[in-house]
Amino acid sequence: MDSPSPIEIRNLSKTYRLGFLMNRQVRALQSLDLSLMPGQVYGLLGPNGAGKSTTIKILLNLVQPSEGEARLFGLPPSDREARRRVGYVPENPAPYEYLTGREFVTLSGRLNGLSGKELDDRVSEVLGMVQMTRAANLQIRRYSKGMVQRVALAQALVSKPALLILDEPTSGLDPVGRRQIRDLILEERHRGTTVLFCTHIIPDVEALCDRVAVLVGGRRVREGSVAELVSAQTTHVEMTVEGLPLEHIQAMGITLEMARPLENRVLLHVRESDAQPLLKHVLEQGGRVTQLHPARFSLEELFLRALEEAKQGPVGGEIS
Amino acid sequence: MGPFIALALNGFREARRNRVTLLVAIFALAMLMSTTLVLEITVGTFDRVITDVGLGAMSLMLVLLAIFLSSGLISREIERRTIFLMVSKPLSRGAFLVGRLAGNMLTVTVLQLLMAALFFAMMSFYESPISPAHLAAVGMLWFELWVLSAVGFLMSSFSSQMVSAFVTVSVYFAGHLSSDIYKLASKSESGAIQALGKAVYYVLPDLSRFNYRPHATYYAPVTSSELLSAAAYGMAFTGVLVALAVVLFNRRDFR
Repeated sequence: MDSPSPIEIRNLSKTYRLGFLMNRQVRALQSLDLSLMPGQVYGLLGPNGAGKSTTIKILLNLVQPSEGEARLFGLPPSDREARRRVGYVPENPAPYEYLTGREFVTLSGRLNGLSGKELDDRVSEVLGMVQMTRAANLQIRRYSKGMVQRVALAQALVSKPALLILDEPTSGLDPVGRRQIRDLILEERHRGTTVLFCTHIIPDVEALCDRVAVLVGGRRVREGSVAELVSAQTTHVEMTVEGLPLEHIQAMGITLEMARPLENRVLLHVRESDAQPLLKHVLEQGGRVTQLHPARFSLEELFLRALEEAKQGPVGGEIS
Repeated sequence: MGPFIALALNGFREARRNRVTLLVAIFALAMLMSTTLVLEITVGTFDRVITDVGLGAMSLMLVLLAIFLSSGLISREIERRTIFLMVSKPLSRGAFLVGRLAGNMLTVTVLQLLMAALFFAMMSFYESPISPAHLAAVGMLWFELWVLSAVGFLMSSFSSQMVSAFVTVSVYFAGHLSSDIYKLASKSESGAIQALGKAVYYVLPDLSRFNYRPHATYYAPVTSSELLSAAAYGMAFTGVLVALAVVLFNRRDFR
């Protein structure tokens, strides 16, 4: 029998009731479906208020869904056994400031059921992994933001989780801190840990994720691997031709989206479907193609386009 | 060490790191100054005055401490966002809540033991007789602290520290008057006032049941049945409040 998916989300919706009389409703998530394969690094990409953190909080039993269901390893998030296999770093993590880094990671280990020498060894190991051994005995109130983030990651790793859930793990960090966190996520992937992380930092998604879902206004508007998402969005093919004047090329009857004669060559933009026929004609007529490449949206452009599209349609937010 | 004990010990460590234990030093100082002063101005009533001052100071400090600690217990976790790292762990919300309350009560208990040891040491030093009523006064104060902590704790599970502290202080004063309110209302000819008096008596904790300070001051006798009944009442009241807090906390979203 197949082992259950680390995360399975079906038709998940959340509407918050706000205000003193709870009569104001804000829709944070709408009919979300999501499935993670073991060992995958999955990114939830979206602007602020897209529903990324709400999704994560439902998975961790911090928020109850209004509709639909979420499952961790086939179990509901309210099941302690499901959460025992999860390590979580919230956005702007706030460990107890009166504790030292080592004490906080030890407390987390205890709450995860570890004890004795196994706990002590594991605490030292994860503090080493996040490069916090030297500062481990300082109170957390003396830590910089990057150090707090690393201790938060250590407490998430202490129980050797099969699933890591990270909410904006690199936000607010300097480039060195970001690099360290990214390296740690990659190390965890090599160990076979499944990672779900949400962010609005696109380079992190490109560097880390196997698959990505783009959320806007509580809805999933795109989903796929980074390569799939960007290759599915080829805008045009750029071709550089030498040995043929522009007039000859225009006479071939293929629609040119852009044609620019340069010193001894012609730069052309054509639709992807027209690229092969144009290439054939150019070669048949003695021309030489010195450059040919599909121009694709970057993930950032894709993200911005998804945002624009979502603005045209119904989105989440205040509904009454 | 299980998660529950880990949380309780962590609560005690929090109080210690936040220098709550300084209260014991303040208590010792208050006792020392008052006895010095009392020796100068009292003739023949020294035993009563030292009992009054000692038990009064102990009660005041511990009640304020219990209110301060319990009213911010959960609301502080939410405001500082520490709750996200704790409630997501593989333990039930009920276990988390009760573990935190146990940490509070461990702090209060340790401080009370230290203060009581100081108080009785002072009484022994001045050869002031210690009666069963003295022990009852200290013991019953402990149950009163449980009830007050449970009130603050319940309020803290759904409101801010300020509101929780205000309500808990109000309950403290009203709770010491609830039996008087009941007696007064029962003498009224109006059925509505009688019902209101009864409602106030049953909803509010009757904190006067835990007040054995006058017995200690006047060396009055105390019966064990009276003490047992008050202790059972205190623990039952606390149990109901904690159960209510767990129900409310379980339904809560942490956005």
